[in-house]
Amino acid sequence: MNDLTINNRINQTLDVIIIGAGFSGLGMAIQLQQANINNIAILERDKEVGGCWRDNQYPGAACDIPSHLYSFSFAPNPNWSRAYSNSHEILEYIKSLVSDFELQRYIRFNTNVSNITFDEKAGFWTIKTDKRKALKARSIVIASGPLANCSFPNIPNLKEYKGHKIHSARWDHNFNFSGKKVALVGTGASAIQIIPKLVKKVKHLTVFQRTPAWVLPRLDAETPQWISSLFRELPSAQKLSRQAIFALHEVGALGLIWNSPLTSAMQRVALKHLQHQVKDDWMQRQLTPNFRIGCKRVLMSNNYYPALQQPNCKLITWPIARMSEKGIRCAEGIEHQFDCIVFATGFDIGTQTAPFSVKGVGGRDLGEDWKRGAQAYKSINVSGYPNLFLTFGPNSGPGHNSALVYVESQLNYAVQGIQRILNEDLAQLDVQAKAQEKYNIKIQKRLSKTNWNSGCKSWYLTEDGFNATMFPGFATQYSIQMRQFKDKDYHRVSAI
Amino acid sequence: MASIDLEKMRQKIKNTQWALVDFDWGSPGAEKITTEQWPKLKTFMADLMWIEHVGARGFAALAKSAPTDNLREIYTYFHAEEQRHANAEMALMKRWGMLDKNEPPVPSANLRLVIEWLERYADDTPFNLLATLIPMLEVALDGALCKYLLETVDDPLCHEIFAKINDDESRHLGVGFTVMEMQGKGPHYIAFIQMLGHLFDPRLIAGALVYFPLLNSMRDNLIAMGMQEEKLYKSIAKFKEIGGRTDQGRRNPWFQVIQYHGTIMVDRSNHFYHVPVDMLVALSNKIPRRLLPSPPTWVAELTHRPIA
Repeated sequence: MNDLTINNRINQTLDVIIIGAGFSGLGMAIQLQQANINNIAILERDKEVGGCWRDNQYPGAACDIPSHLYSFSFAPNPNWSRAYSNSHEILEYIKSLVSDFELQRYIRFNTNVSNITFDEKAGFWTIKTDKRKALKARSIVIASGPLANCSFPNIPNLKEYKGHKIHSARWDHNFNFSGKKVALVGTGASAIQIIPKLVKKVKHLTVFQRTPAWVLPRLDAETPQWISSLFRELPSAQKLSRQAIFALHEVGALGLIWNSPLTSAMQRVALKHLQHQVKDDWMQRQLTPNFRIGCKRVLMSNNYYPALQQPNCKLITWPIARMSEKGIRCAEGIEHQFDCIVFATGFDIGTQTAPFSVKGVGGRDLGEDWKRGAQAYKSINVSGYPNLFLTFGPNSGPGHNSALVYVESQLNYAVQGIQRILNEDLAQLDVQAKAQEKYNIKIQKRLSKTNWNSGCKSWYLTEDGFNATMFPGFATQYSIQMRQFKDKDYHRVSAI
Repeated sequence: MASIDLEKMRQKIKNTQWALVDFDWGSPGAEKITTEQWPKLKTFMADLMWIEHVGARGFAALAKSAPTDNLREIYTYFHAEEQRHANAEMALMKRWGMLDKNEPPVPSANLRLVIEWLERYADDTPFNLLATLIPMLEVALDGALCKYLLETVDDPLCHEIFAKINDDESRHLGVGFTVMEMQGKGPHYIAFIQMLGHLFDPRLIAGALVYFPLLNSMRDNLIAMGMQEEKLYKSIAKFKEIGGRTDQGRRNPWFQVIQYHGTIMVDRSNHFYHVPVDMLVALSNKIPRRLLPSPPTWVAELTHRPIA
């Protein structure tokens, strides 16, 4: 195939359609390209690539994993400016993937998928989008990401508030914060990055906390020039450095995933960090979590606690009763009025629900199938939905390591599956229900022994306490299980 | 009072929230406070406000040690609601011109000691003790005080606000007595031995040494203001009656201890109790102000302003 520009191939049945042009969607395209599978398209709902790093451009946005690990091993970047890069730099890296691997030609921007339906006789998926023409593909990779749709908190009368509202994942860069009374709802990963930046700009910042998180010191530093030069000249040194950082994070699993002496040690470090930075007893109490470290996402910051203690900042831990026209009423009976409210309240987690309508064999619906908790085989395939691959699928989240390590394993596995569909001319490559069930029984059994399931409420769990988000093991374990496509767990139907 | 469904109660609590801005603080009625009434009422309101505020800190401790998520959330709300009551009472004081420089009234030495004790030890106090003690304080002090206030003050806004406060308090008591009964489940002797162990905890002994004089001094203040002592006795009797209505309630050893203490507290003829406790009251009033610990920062959360 000579002309790979997607608009010239749009009427054909494509080999693969990838939904989402974030890290995993672009990574998938690169891997397919390298496996010489080029009849592909990437559908992106936005006008730019970048996924959650395009969306999360709030002040202070940065990654909690060192950049040398939070990047693809097959596309190393020797020029990271810091140990933990900010979102601008990560977005630039993602854009560089597009140019370096010539992915632009595959991407259809401003294309929002509304539903996908599998035609079991013909063996292809029909993809309906907000454009008139439906697309067809033999395989689909859903790479829409777990953090694509921002979520507002369940506060009564949310719409009653007439002031300016901003969600951290849809930052309003045109809003002028100076001289304004601002509220920030939430104290999770985004909030603790925004607060130190925002407190410097606003007249007064009020932070509404529901549950405090464990916060560890952030060992961040600028990358010395000589390191970047060394990595440019000697890529194996960068590879070695990546492996060392990876190994260090793997050790962290022992404290964060399971309850071990390392868990207590990490908790002590977090507590000392709090006591060192916050001297007031009552504030310390307000900021001390009542759950085991690791149960919820562990945060890292050196400037969050100091920011909360600035004279123009106030931490409120009263339950929010409702929103009013001018602000937030709390259960202590006071109406707190603001010019602007920032919601740093996270996302509707994509591992727990279908991102859009997905109809598989016999018209079965993924949303219905996942109603009682999302399940997949090795996080990537779902029985009854042949030729469909998920990245960041159920139970593929890490609590201690780079998510991209998991994604790379998934990409490799998906390529192996897609190669089988194309090379063996299969109408259906579907994971067996029994294999999926067996895998999930094992996963849930292992999850029951983890810190995530130790009693706290977190976005890792559904309302019923079902964990469809995290992988209960080391990243190495996950990579090993994804190394080889397990043919015996699939059934095949040849194309007629 | 029958045991209640705590899940439904949590929802009810969430659905019945009110705020100070719901009231017209400039409405007529403040002039109904008579010149004669004013100084006594000022002291009375200050005591009432501090009791609510101290109670709030007690609920904060309960929220920390609550055995279930549901109870934790309920107590978190109760903590805030007691604070709301204190804020509303402070706003009434402001309306009646009883706040000096718009600041909260200065707490007595007894109160300062209780606040200090709460700050240091409340979070480590056994859940069962606090969960039984707070309903007693709510029935005996809160209940009696609110009733007395409504009988003596004609300001309609005061009645409107206390209707809301009383609704909240009835939910607090509903939960309180249900939790007290829950504590009567399980082997009696284990609960009893655990309680005995805690009774000899130096932190609790210190707590008793600041708590007993506070009760005595408040009782004296109330009587000095013209409140009939019988009202206090009736409230203690009510606690005894409701808390001990069921077998389970009676099997809660902390209930037995606290109701017994309530009985001797209102029995003025019990010199064995009252002489040393009254001495402690006199002694604490002699502590120079500069030697009293500075109040913790949660005290600064008090406000009479409906809007922040």
